[in-house]
Amino acid sequence: MNKKSYNPFEVAQKQFDRAADLLELDKASRDLLRNPLREYHFSIPVRMDDGSMNIFRGFRVQHNDARGPGKGGVRFHPQETIDTVRALAMWMTWKCTVVDIPLGGSKGGIICDPHNLSQLEQERLCRGWVRQIARNVGPLSDIPAPDVMTSAQHMLWMLDEYEAIHGTKNPGFITGKPVGMGGSLGRKEATGYGTIITVREALKELNINPEDTCASFQGFGNVSQFAIELYQQMGGKIICVSCWDQEDQTGYSYRKKDGIDLIELLNITDSFGGIDKTKAQELDYELLPGEAWIEQDVDILIPAALENQITADNATKISNRVKIIAEGANGPTTPEADKIIREHNIFMIPDLLANAGGVTCSYFEQVQSNSNYFWEKDEVLGKLDVQMTSAFIAISEFAKSKKLYMRDAAYVIAVNRVAQACSDRGWV
Amino acid sequence: MKKNNKSVGIIIDDLKERAKELNCLYEVQKLLNKPETTIKEICEGLLNAIPPGWQYPEICRVKIIYENSTYQSDDFKETRWVQNADIIIHDEVRGKISIYYIEETPRADEGPFLKEERKLINTIAEQVGLHILYQELKEVFHKQKKTTEQFKSDWWTILDFLKKTDTKLLIRISRKMLNYLCWSGIKEAEQLLVQFSPTYKNEIELLKEINRPYQYKTINDTLTFSDDIFKIASKHLSEKEIFNSIQKWIEEDKSGFLVNVLENPGSSISKISDSIERYHHLTQQGLELSQRREKGFRIALIRRLMNDQARFINIAKQYITVNDFNALLHKLIHPTYSYGKLGGKSSGLFLATQILKRSSCDNELLRNIKIPKTWYLTSDGILQFMTYNNLEDITEQKYKDVERVRQEYPYVIHVFKNSPFPPDIIKGLSLALDDFGDVPLIIRSSSLLEDQVGTAFAGKYKSLFVANQGTHEERLIALMDAIAEVYASTFGPDPIEYRIEHRLEDYHEEMGILIQEVVGTKVGHYFFPAFAGVAFRNNEFPWSSRIKRENGLVRIVPGLGTRAVDRLSSDYPILIAPGQPNLRVNVTLDEIVRYSPKEIDLINLKTGSFETLDLKTLFKEVGQEYPYINKIVSILKENQIHQPRGLGIDFEKNDLIVTFEGLIKNTPFLKQMQTILHVLSEKLETPVDIEFAFKGADLYLLQCRPQSYSEDSKPAEIPKDIPKEKIVFSANRFVSNAAVPDITHIVYVSPQKYGEITEHSDLIAVGRAIGKLNKVLPKRKFILMGPGRWGSRGDIKLGVSVTYSDINNTSMLIEIARKQKDYVPDVSFGTHFFQDLVEESIRYLPLYPDDSGIVFNENFLTTSKNIFPFILPDFAHLENTICVINVPELTNGLILQVLMNAEQQKAVGFMTKSAEVPET
Repeated sequence: MNKKSYNPFEVAQKQFDRAADLLELDKASRDLLRNPLREYHFSIPVRMDDGSMNIFRGFRVQHNDARGPGKGGVRFHPQETIDTVRALAMWMTWKCTVVDIPLGGSKGGIICDPHNLSQLEQERLCRGWVRQIARNVGPLSDIPAPDVMTSAQHMLWMLDEYEAIHGTKNPGFITGKPVGMGGSLGRKEATGYGTIITVREALKELNINPEDTCASFQGFGNVSQFAIELYQQMGGKIICVSCWDQEDQTGYSYRKKDGIDLIELLNITDSFGGIDKTKAQELDYELLPGEAWIEQDVDILIPAALENQITADNATKISNRVKIIAEGANGPTTPEADKIIREHNIFMIPDLLANAGGVTCSYFEQVQSNSNYFWEKDEVLGKLDVQMTSAFIAISEFAKSKKLYMRDAAYVIAVNRVAQACSDRGWV
Repeated sequence: MKKNNKSVGIIIDDLKERAKELNCLYEVQKLLNKPETTIKEICEGLLNAIPPGWQYPEICRVKIIYENSTYQSDDFKETRWVQNADIIIHDEVRGKISIYYIEETPRADEGPFLKEERKLINTIAEQVGLHILYQELKEVFHKQKKTTEQFKSDWWTILDFLKKTDTKLLIRISRKMLNYLCWSGIKEAEQLLVQFSPTYKNEIELLKEINRPYQYKTINDTLTFSDDIFKIASKHLSEKEIFNSIQKWIEEDKSGFLVNVLENPGSSISKISDSIERYHHLTQQGLELSQRREKGFRIALIRRLMNDQARFINIAKQYITVNDFNALLHKLIHPTYSYGKLGGKSSGLFLATQILKRSSCDNELLRNIKIPKTWYLTSDGILQFMTYNNLEDITEQKYKDVERVRQEYPYVIHVFKNSPFPPDIIKGLSLALDDFGDVPLIIRSSSLLEDQVGTAFAGKYKSLFVANQGTHEERLIALMDAIAEVYASTFGPDPIEYRIEHRLEDYHEEMGILIQEVVGTKVGHYFFPAFAGVAFRNNEFPWSSRIKRENGLVRIVPGLGTRAVDRLSSDYPILIAPGQPNLRVNVTLDEIVRYSPKEIDLINLKTGSFETLDLKTLFKEVGQEYPYINKIVSILKENQIHQPRGLGIDFEKNDLIVTFEGLIKNTPFLKQMQTILHVLSEKLETPVDIEFAFKGADLYLLQCRPQSYSEDSKPAEIPKDIPKEKIVFSANRFVSNAAVPDITHIVYVSPQKYGEITEHSDLIAVGRAIGKLNKVLPKRKFILMGPGRWGSRGDIKLGVSVTYSDINNTSMLIEIARKQKDYVPDVSFGTHFFQDLVEESIRYLPLYPDDSGIVFNENFLTTSKNIFPFILPDFAHLENTICVINVPELTNGLILQVLMNAEQQKAVGFMTKSAEVPET
């Protein structure tokens, strides 16, 4: 196609360059971190159900492993491109580093559409991917995980193939496994709880008692539900929750000014976080338009649904009362909206930090798998709290001392830590 | 309905009386059919068999005189209360049956006897006569066979016997022999024919014809002719041939009555029914027909009762025997003088049943396919119902304005539901209910027009469930109520509008009714099949390039199949291609859960109503009682979904998702489906669709018809002469069936310009702009054309990032796969929202502009006046990428029409004047 087109890797590199400028990184560090350390491109022959052979293209990009084994998902995507995989691998490096877990960043993928493949063919494809890369990945070097269109099932096939090749049991080779098969407890709670832990720390810093605050959430899926749970435990009041209505193909916000009742709402919610609007109204929730969540007169806004939800259009509608925005979702704020928020001096907890509970829990899964010893849920969540809290404090202090916007601070601190590790190892 | 209640009581008394009579007749038949019984034994048997059929059996005595013997009941005495019937053999009175009452009883139709008893005694006498005749003939043939050397004397003996006993039969046989000789080209016979029948003339003689009446011959003359004929025969034919011919003709003559009845278009169904019954008994007594005659009967019956179109007859005659009709006629309800038919749905099911039955011997998979118990009400029942209630005026509905029809329809329903049924139909329905017992029933329409116009018409009429609970009377009333409602649907606005649009309002419509036992199990106070659905021979909605049309398509739901038959936008059936069972529509966990059925249709026996329940609630309520549950659901646990094992479901705690994984993977169900579809389509010479339900371990076929297309998904006929300049695009790969008329707006996202966008936010903005256009453009009057994969997430430069709500008003989704360097990218088949597209009938089409022979008028799409910046000024910076074309404005009122034909794998989008879709 045309040379001039959107390239996610170029975008990621530009973002890196900005951080590198701030850190005044030397050329060697820049050259090292602008590109992946290693890339594997390979062909995977797969015997199809009808007897024919199909050759699939597979990738694994290891962006950087100076701080520990690489970690990152394996995607099934019909039009996967290497630049996307590179960008995502780099993103993983920063993501792991922000919360200060000892892992690097990787990403992998196979060009395929699982809608065109039977389960058996997908199994052969997974095993084929592992056969091609088995010597270059592993619990101590690079750890795959589920991603777009891959699931726990795919991970188990991959793990099984890996163990068959090496003749050992290595549950730490892969994460995203079911509980009982090397998975970790607390995974469901991790992201939502992580978001609220950072909110708690932010409130501390702003000297606000959580019990005096109220919040509005976008989305009522997994992340939101657990975030709400913990936030309520802290004494906060949720006034408004929005969600997608499958039947009407539109979003709605549900408001109750004296605070929503989580259990009551969960009872009328489907597995996709869709709230039954008729029943909600019977329970005296006000039914408002989907975007209304952002206009509420609250202290905290938590976008925990999709990307690009806070835009230049609706950012202006944010109430003056809002003091904190915590990005529970990935990339919920567009750059234009981010500018507006920054100008309004709202405390922004960026996604890189606010939703890092998930990757932290994956790390815990790997740790447990490697030691073949599995923790109780409390232990997992306790360790999560410690990890997230210290991560928050580090970034927040860095931001304060360097007078940086939180989003930039998170990014810069990540780049800095990785650059430091590379230099300590004598790579640059 | 009150009026009905009263008559129902009387009718039931009547029916009890009829049942006695039928029993009596049955006992008589049993006697006659016993092999090797002498006439003496028969007569003695009759003395006991007859009285129970009469109104007062205790005081009923019987006397039978046959030739020189007399047989009578034990304490027989002659009184004046007597009823007689002669035993006639070959027009000769050979005996007499007399029935006496030994005490006085109230007066009835014929002295103390009922008119039905008159009919009964006549029938018994006739049956006895026929039996004796048959025995005598058999004896003659038997004797002949013993002396096989002397054929001549043999057949002469028969002729002599006939001369004495049945001259009419002799004449008929002689005539047949003469015909036979003539066809064999024997000159002497031709001459004889001239004399035998004055109408036989060669052409020259016909020209000379003079104006005087023909001279008819006397019986004696013809008897002499008979001798002449057989003399000629003995000269030219072998003895054996003559003997065999005579034997065959005598046999065939016995079934002559059936020929007369069947060939006469005026014969009522009761007449046909009686004749078939009689024929059936004769075959049990050993009557054998020539293949030709049997075939003639079969065809006549098919024509009269099912369908008179040559194509249908040609197929049906291969699979349906006369005896099959006998079984059918026992379950046929009709007005007394009915000339009606079964109607499309009933005929289709009946034929399919017979085909599967005949094909099951060489295919294991077809062996256990069952058909629910079914009764049929003939198509003219509705006319009789209307005449009986003076509702003839309603037939004029079809000539009224559709709006008025719509307004008046509730009134029509009301009137129909409050009109009583004619007594003969009530009788039939009552019998049917006795036969069904108290299982729930479905009342389906089976109209004549369905045959005429194809199945696009089907589904316009109602089908209703009745719980069929309570007393016989309550059940009967509910059944009649449902039938009345189905009848009323003939005059509903939808079918009438369809008929007017297709100029069918003048076609004579009648409505047969199919009363079918609902296939299902009682679970708690609910009644439903484990699962049910529809299956199509041709897969018109492939979700992968690896799925071919002939891989078929099955739509399955738990419970009653209504949710699979209809498209519901809020719930989804499981879709599976039986020829490619491993390629699933929904692959990721999120898709599997989102597009799994959430509700179930069932019959609530407590309330007697058809209900829709939440499946999760039902599972919790009935638990393991749900039949076949392990094959139907999977358990969702954390981020994994797996099939339950044995007792592995915890109904309180487990999150159950309907996937049919066990059914698909661990049972021969899909193979069975594929075989059924294949066999039926092959034998019926057209792709079919079927409805099915599953109960216990058995698959039931509920309906079979040529594959239906909803009005907008018929294969469109593509005109050959579309001027090239009018064509916007054409396609020849992965084309399904559709005609999308009246498109006023084209939304075109240029693949090239989209690919050149460098800012991620602009790529996102394209998706948002499409979402906005979707809200403002006229619903279902615009199409979306764009690069690669609509609904891409993450890598959105490969396709516009939209969700289903951003495109749900389009009439079509087109994906353009342009060649890039050396490869053509994959299209998505609408993967991201495939089931939503299917359920909402939004068409999908991939375009490959770089294929040879393909038209893709890029110039028109990119250089026409682009109204996009005017509609969405906020997004004006994307005007190079998104073009919105107002077709009528640009082309002086033309519109875009897209015609798609899966059979030819061709599609074309072109500018045209007419908003009408060409008829196919």
